[in-house]
Amino acid sequence: MSHTHTHGNPGDTHHKAAPMVEEITDYEVLEIAVRELAIEHGLFTAEDHRKFTEWAESIGPAAGSRLVAKAWTDPAFKALALKDGLTACKEVGVDWAEPTGVGTPSDYMEFHLLEDTPTLHHVIVCTLCSCYPRPLLGMSPEWYRTTNYRRRLVRWPRQVLAEFGLIVPPEVEVRVEDSNQKCRFMVLPMRPEGTDNWTEKQLAEIVTRDCMIGVALPKPGRTADVHPIQKARRPVKSSAEEPANE
Amino acid sequence: MSENRIAVLEATRKQDKAWETLAPRYGVTNPNPPWKTSLTAMCDCLAVSGALPALERRNTEDELAETLYSDIPSPERELLALVHTLVSRGLVSEADLVSRMKTVRARLEAV
Amino acid sequence: MKKSKSPDASDALFEVGDKVRVRDMPYMFYTRSQLYTRGVVGTIAALTYKDLIPEEEAFNFDGRIEQYYIVRFRQKDLWPGYAFDNDTLQTECPHRWLEPATN
Repeated sequence: MSHTHTHGNPGDTHHKAAPMVEEITDYEVLEIAVRELAIEHGLFTAEDHRKFTEWAESIGPAAGSRLVAKAWTDPAFKALALKDGLTACKEVGVDWAEPTGVGTPSDYMEFHLLEDTPTLHHVIVCTLCSCYPRPLLGMSPEWYRTTNYRRRLVRWPRQVLAEFGLIVPPEVEVRVEDSNQKCRFMVLPMRPEGTDNWTEKQLAEIVTRDCMIGVALPKPGRTADVHPIQKARRPVKSSAEEPANE
Repeated sequence: MSENRIAVLEATRKQDKAWETLAPRYGVTNPNPPWKTSLTAMCDCLAVSGALPALERRNTEDELAETLYSDIPSPERELLALVHTLVSRGLVSEADLVSRMKTVRARLEAV
Repeated sequence: MKKSKSPDASDALFEVGDKVRVRDMPYMFYTRSQLYTRGVVGTIAALTYKDLIPEEEAFNFDGRIEQYYIVRFRQKDLWPGYAFDNDTLQTECPHRWLEPATN
């Protein structure tokens, strides 16, 4: 039974009195229906699906933030992280080899940390299919997966960064990393001013997901990525404007 | 990739019940519908099993996202694109989908 | 089936700093070789791992293992009129997509 069903089942412990969407949409029904049919046709197993769902729900950018904070405070760890990213990840609790227990969903081979310097700023994209270092950063944001970002970042990186509010001085090299194969990447941003004597925990709080993709810079006081909600460009029209069948 | 509309998907989208419209009506602040992680897992499983490799799935999803489903927000767009691709490739039949959606809905509404 | 002549696993590996050009090779179905790098000269930035070439399996049935590289390009070389001299782009290529470049 789908554990994501908002109505819940007898015996569920819904301890929060949070509002719920009190209707069953066709989208919800469609997702369950196609999944059941796919499993029945042997396209994948229910067990694998359960494991991948649990993994998707468990991951977030906290491990990435910890890795950056540790690299900022421990020069030996930073050197390790730049030389052997996978081993460094294990030290923050992420084992790329067995993130789900069924092998990795994205068929990676290596993990590289991209170190920003005063003259070099990195930003990451996957033009082909939105590959992303999910074991460290969690699920990729919706904007990262759009063709808008994927096509424009390689051609107009500074304009795209400006849309995120990040202006890079012309003399600083902007380096786009297009992760089209089996390496996965994450940015190691520069440690900002005003963070002397901060603990690793305090530092990790300002290393947000956007900073590790390269579309934002960490700053004291900036502990969340904020984006406008992506509205549909052309909202669905009424059925009176039904187009002719093709 | 053909742009042939698939009737059951057209019926779904016509309801205009995407999460970003629906959630505010109920005061629900979760940015994603509860089935989103299940959808993600489904895409991963299809890639790992080889039934629908990631690059192929994303290519058809990109095409559909720019044409047929360009006015549908995420993640509903990804769900429609995935189902569209599975039906187009004969991995899942539209008739089975229609009938399964009826039984699933009846099951959920019975709770 | 006749196999096309192509780089062999025994070819000498490129080294960091080598200038290489991305070959414009025919491909079937889905490719991970982006169109925007075809024919462009870049520099080997790193050697990564050895792995199977995905789309080549349609042509060659021996599943060759090849060295992959991170190749660095100047954005000015990728895009006409790119306005910032220092900017670069990196992407990953298997050995068979690359040939030595002299310029």
